[in-house]
Amino acid sequence: MSSPTATEASPPADEAPVVVPSVDAAPETQAVAWRHRHLLDLDVVSWPEIELVMRTTDAMREVLERPIAKVPALRGRNVTILFYEASTRTRVSFEVAAKNLSADVVNIAAATSSVSKGESLVDTVRTVEALGAEMLVIRHPVSGAPYLAAETFSGSVLNGGDGWHAHPTQALLDLYTMRSHLPGGSVAGRKVVILGDVLHSRVARSNIWSLTAAGADLWLCGPATLLRGFEAWASRGAAGGGRFNVTSSLDEALRDADVVMALRIQRERMASGLLPSVREYAARYGLTSARLGLAQPGALVMHPGPMNEGVEIAADVAAGTQSVITEQVTNGVAVRMALLYLLAGSRAGGVAPAAAGPNA
Amino acid sequence: MTDLDISGAWLVDPAAGREGPGEIVVRDGVLESVVWLEGEEAAGVDDRGVIIAPGFIDLHAHFREPGNEDAETIASGLAAAAHGGFTTVCLMPNTTPPLDEPGVLARVRAAADASGSAVRLLAYGAVTAGRGGETLAALGELADAGVVGFSDDGSCVASASLVRNALAYAGALGLPLVDHAEDATQTDGAEANDGFVATVLGLRGWPAAAEEASVARDLSILAEVVRDVPAARLHLTHVSTAGALDLVRRAKAAGLPVTCDVTPHHLALTDEWIAGSRHWAWEASGDPWSDGAITTEPYASSLRVNPPLRSAADAAACREALLDGTADAVATDHAPHTAVEKDVEFGSAANGISGIETALGLVLAAVDAGLLPLARAMALLTSGPARVLGSAWGRGPTPGLVEGAPADLVVFDRSETWTVEPNVLASRGKNTPLAGRQLAGRVLFTVAGGRLAYEAAD
Repeated sequence: MSSPTATEASPPADEAPVVVPSVDAAPETQAVAWRHRHLLDLDVVSWPEIELVMRTTDAMREVLERPIAKVPALRGRNVTILFYEASTRTRVSFEVAAKNLSADVVNIAAATSSVSKGESLVDTVRTVEALGAEMLVIRHPVSGAPYLAAETFSGSVLNGGDGWHAHPTQALLDLYTMRSHLPGGSVAGRKVVILGDVLHSRVARSNIWSLTAAGADLWLCGPATLLRGFEAWASRGAAGGGRFNVTSSLDEALRDADVVMALRIQRERMASGLLPSVREYAARYGLTSARLGLAQPGALVMHPGPMNEGVEIAADVAAGTQSVITEQVTNGVAVRMALLYLLAGSRAGGVAPAAAGPNA
Repeated sequence: MTDLDISGAWLVDPAAGREGPGEIVVRDGVLESVVWLEGEEAAGVDDRGVIIAPGFIDLHAHFREPGNEDAETIASGLAAAAHGGFTTVCLMPNTTPPLDEPGVLARVRAAADASGSAVRLLAYGAVTAGRGGETLAALGELADAGVVGFSDDGSCVASASLVRNALAYAGALGLPLVDHAEDATQTDGAEANDGFVATVLGLRGWPAAAEEASVARDLSILAEVVRDVPAARLHLTHVSTAGALDLVRRAKAAGLPVTCDVTPHHLALTDEWIAGSRHWAWEASGDPWSDGAITTEPYASSLRVNPPLRSAADAAACREALLDGTADAVATDHAPHTAVEKDVEFGSAANGISGIETALGLVLAAVDAGLLPLARAMALLTSGPARVLGSAWGRGPTPGLVEGAPADLVVFDRSETWTVEPNVLASRGKNTPLAGRQLAGRVLFTVAGGRLAYEAAD
C-alpha cells in the first residue's frame, strides 16, 4: 500500500500545489485540496481543481489496468444511484466506478420506484438517505433538480445529468480524453468543435465551462434553431483566455479543428419544429469523413453517446481511426472513480459547506 | 372604534398632491384632523422616518378561496394585505370554481365578512365561462353583482376575437378588461426569461416577444373597439418587458384608453436571482457568473413566476414606466402556494410569489436607492390604482388624507427594517424569494375604512 502522505507535483510558484491522493488508501486519510461537498456543475470548480480531477483520474486509470481493478478506498460506503431518466451507459459507468472503489452500490431507476406513484424528489432523497445512502448520484430530466437534492441530502450529491443544464462528469471525461491525445497534454489554444443540438445539451453546457477554463478555442456549431441563446454566452468571452464562437456554418467550424464532438439529435426536435427532417440534418450537419477532411489531420472525433449513426455521425467516422469514442467510455469510469473518491474525502474531512460558498 | 394620534410624521397625500411634516388624529375611526406642520414645529421631521399615506390598493391578488385553502384563505389573505399596508384588494377570479358567476362572488364576500377583517375586498369576474377561453362568462350578471373588471388572469385570453368581444361588452358595462398578456404559443413549457441566465441554467426560454405580441394584439383590437364603444377600457397587468411598456407608452400617447401595472418583483428583482445572485435589479451587471454576485444556490423555486423575472434592462424599463406614468400602478400579483406546490424542482414548481407583505419593502428599496421619489411610490400604491379602477373604486375622488372621512391609511417607519420570515408572514403562502432578507419600511398601523386592520406587535 502507498503511504498516506500525498505525492507532490511541482506547480508554478504562484499556484497552490495540486496534491494527488494515493487512491489505494481511504480518502479521509488523504490531504487533498478538494473543497466541494457536491459536484453539481463545473461553474464553481476552479482550474486547479479540474487539474486535481485529471491527476486523480490518472491514478484511477492505473488502477483500471491492474489485473484486479479494485481498490478498497470506499469500502463500507453506500453510493446510491438514482436515475429519473433511462440511461445505460452513464448509470453503468457510475456503478462500475463505485464498485471499483469497493463501495456498496444501490441502484434506483425511477420507473420502478415510488417516484412513479407521485413521490416528490425531496421525499425520495430523504428516503434513500434513511436507507443508508452516503453519496447520491442523480440524473433527472428537470434542470436544477440535483440542487434541490443537495439541499435535502446530508451527504454528497454527484450530478449525473440534469435536464439541459449540466453533465459535469461527461465534460471532465471529455477533457481527460482530449488531453490524453493532444500534443503536450493540453487543450489550450486547440480548436474544439461541439456540433449539433447545443440548445438541449447538458453535455455542451458543462463542456463550455471546462473548455473555456482550459483556454480552448471553442466553437459551437449547429442549425440556428439549436444554438438559440448561445451567442449571448459566447459574447461574454471565455474565462481561460481562449475563444468562444458560435456558428451555423459547418465548414467554418470544422476548418483546422483539433477536436470534433458530435451531439445526439433527438427525433422529437423535428416534431417541435426546430428542424425540417432527420434527412436534412444528416445532409447538412452530419459528420462524414469528407467533412472531417476539413479538420486537422488526425483530429479527434468524439461523441457522448448514444449515437445515431448515419444522422449526426457517419458509421465509418464513429468507428474510424480518429475516433476516441470507446475510450471516452473507459475514461468515464476512471473520472467517476476520481470524483467519488474526491467527494468522499471532502465529506470526511472537508471544509464546512457554509464556508465554502455556493455548491461547495 | 379606532383612535390614533400621530405627530411628527411625514404625510404623503396624493389627492392633495402634497407631502411634508404633519400630524393626524383619528377619533372613532374618523380622520378627525390632518395638520401640516411648518417652521419650528416641523424641525427634525423628514421623509426617512414615520410615513403616513392613504391605505394601499392592490389591483392584483390571488387569495385561493374557494378551492385551494391550503395555500390561502380569504381571511389569511386579508390579514396579509393588512400587514403589507393594503386596505383594498382586488382578487383575481382563478379560484376553483372560478369566479365566473355571482354565486362565487357571494361566497367570497361571505368569507370576507366572516373574517372580520377591515380590509375592503373587491373582485374581478372571469372573462370566459369557467376560464375556459371559449365563451363569455356572465359579464352582465357579474357587473350587477359588483365586480370591478374582468380577467382570465393566469392565462391570457387566447382568442383575439374573444378579446374584441370582451372589450366591447365589458366597456358597455363600464368595466375594464384586465389582460394577462402572454402568447402561449411561444411559452409552452417556458421556465425563465429567455436570455443569458436561462441559457446557462438550461431553462426553457420565456421570450419577451410572447408578452409583447399579446400586448400589441390587445392594443390593436382596442383601437378598433373604442370607435364603437368609447367606454371600452383595457388594463394590462404585470407588464414586465421593456418592449411591452414601450407599446403601452405609445398607445397612451395616441390616446387609447389603456392602463397597466408593474409588480414589485419585476421592479426590484431580475432573472439573475435564479442563478443565485441577490443583487437588486439596479445593481445587476447582466453576468452574475463574472461579477461575484452569486451568493446562494441557483434554481430557487420561489423565483418561478409568470411572467418570469426579466433582465436588468427590463427592470430598468419598469422603473422608467412607473416614473413617467406609462405604468399607472404597482400591483403585487400576490400568488401564495403551498410547500407541496413549491418545494419541487424549479421546472415543476407552480408559478407565483407570495408578495403582498413584501411589496412595500421592494418599492422602498427602489426609493432608498434614489430611483423613485417617495411621493411617486405612494401614488403608485394609492391614487394610481384608484384611477385604474375608475368608478368601480367607489369612494369618490382620489384616495387622500381627507378630514372627516373614515380613516383609511397606513403608517410605516422607513427607518425600521424587518426580516422576512415564514412565521412573520400572515399569508399561508410562504413562497417568497425574500425569506431571510431585511426589508425597510416596517408597517406600524393599517387602518381600513375606519377600523384597525393591523397593528405592529410592539
